[in-house]
Amino acid sequence: MSTLHAKAAEEYLRHTDIVERHDKTFFGVRQKRDNMAQALPEWEDLREAASQIKKHTVSHLADYLQQFEENATRNGIHVHWAADAREYNDIVYQILSAHGVKKVVKSKSMLTEECHLNENLEQHGIEVIETDLGERILQMMHLAPSHIVMPALHVHREAIGDCFRSQGLMENLEYPNMPDDPNDPTYLTFVARMHLRRQFTEAQAGMTGANFGIASTGEVVVCTNEGNADMSTSIPKLHIVSMGIEKLIPDYASMGVFQRLLARCGTGQETTVYTSHFRGPRPGGEMHIVLVDNGRSQILSDPEHWQTLKCMRCGACMNTCPVYRRSAGYSYTYFIPGPIGINLGMLRGSRKYSDNVSACTLCCSCDNVCPVKVDLSTQIYRWRQQLDSMHRADATKKIMSRAMSFIFRHPKLYTRLVGSLHLARWVPSAMMKTPLNPWTYGHEMMKFPPKSFHQAWKDLKPKEDEQ
Amino acid sequence: MNTKDKILARLREGVQQTFDMPDLSQLHGITYTDPVAQFIQKATTTAGAHLIELPGGVDLNQAVHQAYPQAQIFASNLPGIEVQLNPDTVEDVCQLTAVDVGIVQGRIGVAENACIWVPQAMKEKAICFASENLVILLRRTDIVSNMHQAYALIAESGEYFRDYKFGTFISGPSKTADIESALVYGAQAARSLTIILTS
Repeated sequence: MSTLHAKAAEEYLRHTDIVERHDKTFFGVRQKRDNMAQALPEWEDLREAASQIKKHTVSHLADYLQQFEENATRNGIHVHWAADAREYNDIVYQILSAHGVKKVVKSKSMLTEECHLNENLEQHGIEVIETDLGERILQMMHLAPSHIVMPALHVHREAIGDCFRSQGLMENLEYPNMPDDPNDPTYLTFVARMHLRRQFTEAQAGMTGANFGIASTGEVVVCTNEGNADMSTSIPKLHIVSMGIEKLIPDYASMGVFQRLLARCGTGQETTVYTSHFRGPRPGGEMHIVLVDNGRSQILSDPEHWQTLKCMRCGACMNTCPVYRRSAGYSYTYFIPGPIGINLGMLRGSRKYSDNVSACTLCCSCDNVCPVKVDLSTQIYRWRQQLDSMHRADATKKIMSRAMSFIFRHPKLYTRLVGSLHLARWVPSAMMKTPLNPWTYGHEMMKFPPKSFHQAWKDLKPKEDEQ
Repeated sequence: MNTKDKILARLREGVQQTFDMPDLSQLHGITYTDPVAQFIQKATTTAGAHLIELPGGVDLNQAVHQAYPQAQIFASNLPGIEVQLNPDTVEDVCQLTAVDVGIVQGRIGVAENACIWVPQAMKEKAICFASENLVILLRRTDIVSNMHQAYALIAESGEYFRDYKFGTFISGPSKTADIESALVYGAQAARSLTIILTS
């Protein structure tokens, strides 16, 4: 019984060249992150500080949220509270419809993905335009993100070029020095730029996520490289921020710590191009912040898993994960892949998303790159311990475990079996490679030595005594 | 109970263990013996910006025109700069998307990552993003080593966020690597950034 992740990964792994490219791309980001870490003598102090700030904030979240709301309100921002995805979608729709909005430009936000905001608004006849280049490509191709920071790196330039051409984006577009490659990334980025810049001027509202909310000042901070969050909020008069309640930090001193970690860990840059602080509406405009719980307060009360709330969605755990790099985002059944996605999925619905907990070798690399020290692999291990009680354990492995447990409890039987293992050499490999022996799946069967270790040790001993 | 009270109550009940805020004064960010040299190096390499060190006596307008000889529409609200559009008085913000060169004042430079703190000091902040090319003026004496120092200066100063409730750190031109990881300058916002260091 393979998990859905294992099955999807198996399918993905058939395309060796694609796998190799994906693996290299994300390991490259991991290496860039390492360079960043090694360039700062205070790196480990920063991680420890970030972890402690998050532990403190999360364990005083109600107080900080109240402080945040008070300050934001004083700044002229409308603050809303949403218990779940439905309430969140309703609030956003109500704000938009009250302003007669027909088109929204939107910067990347995993929270809107989590709550299926786009589909919801589209059902109400509101056009939603993703403005992050990767997200826009996926939106046009009707694909889901495969990574939380670099969502479309799995799509190749030819497919992107074809998509842009089919949407007519190249029409009436003048481009100096047209390259030989019609799918040249610089050219395609220019095409998208011209397309998106038109959207910014046509939209009546801009939506952003929030990388951080600062309680002491009542502001939100949004980090991008493209400047799309800023374009989305500089031209339309209405700005709506969607913010998970765990995104809060206490003050500017904390902000310094997180600003320095986010891009270094996420993409291996010292900073994003834009780190924008929104402390109120633009002149003549209106700003709303929707604070979303959607299961987060539940996570806080989980003694084994509350630390996932420290996560700031940098994606470093995915880039380093050997399983993610070789199975890619779509192999996971939760919309956030990789180590943090495995855990967040289990917290969202442990029965529904248990297929992902197999996507881990327990190498613990994610723990070592996480900027806020979420104990990702330990948590995955804990989930695995619970699989049996959820009736989601692999039946074959269960039988094997029981048999092994029986053998280990009977030393004489154990010795006799180990002593005769070498006979397995004479069994034809076709008989070994059966579904009952999962070891041979993807491996060659190991060659057992003619003598067991115990026997070899015993044979050696008299000689030692003679010396 | 309304949603807010419900969420807050759940959060208060749910806490298993509380933790103190760490003492961040003990955290020492990297410092440079010559922050200006480090800033220039970062700005012109990883950040992908152009940088002009303006010698005394040279006219700012001349420097801007030399940097962008093809440009036709300049925009700024800074005194002494010759422009066609002013972000304080522009009728429709969309006009700023046609600007060739926008010129704004940066207040803090950060050596570790070439970030420049640009607080909104104009009615339409679109000038910082929608302009095809951006020029940021920065005084050499306003450069610090790291982000901790920059945020401390912003927190202590009473002058930011007063008239306009926005400020941004900008490090280089708008960029993306969303298509096959190829780095491309000029995603949605400014396609180039020129920093003019003044004394």
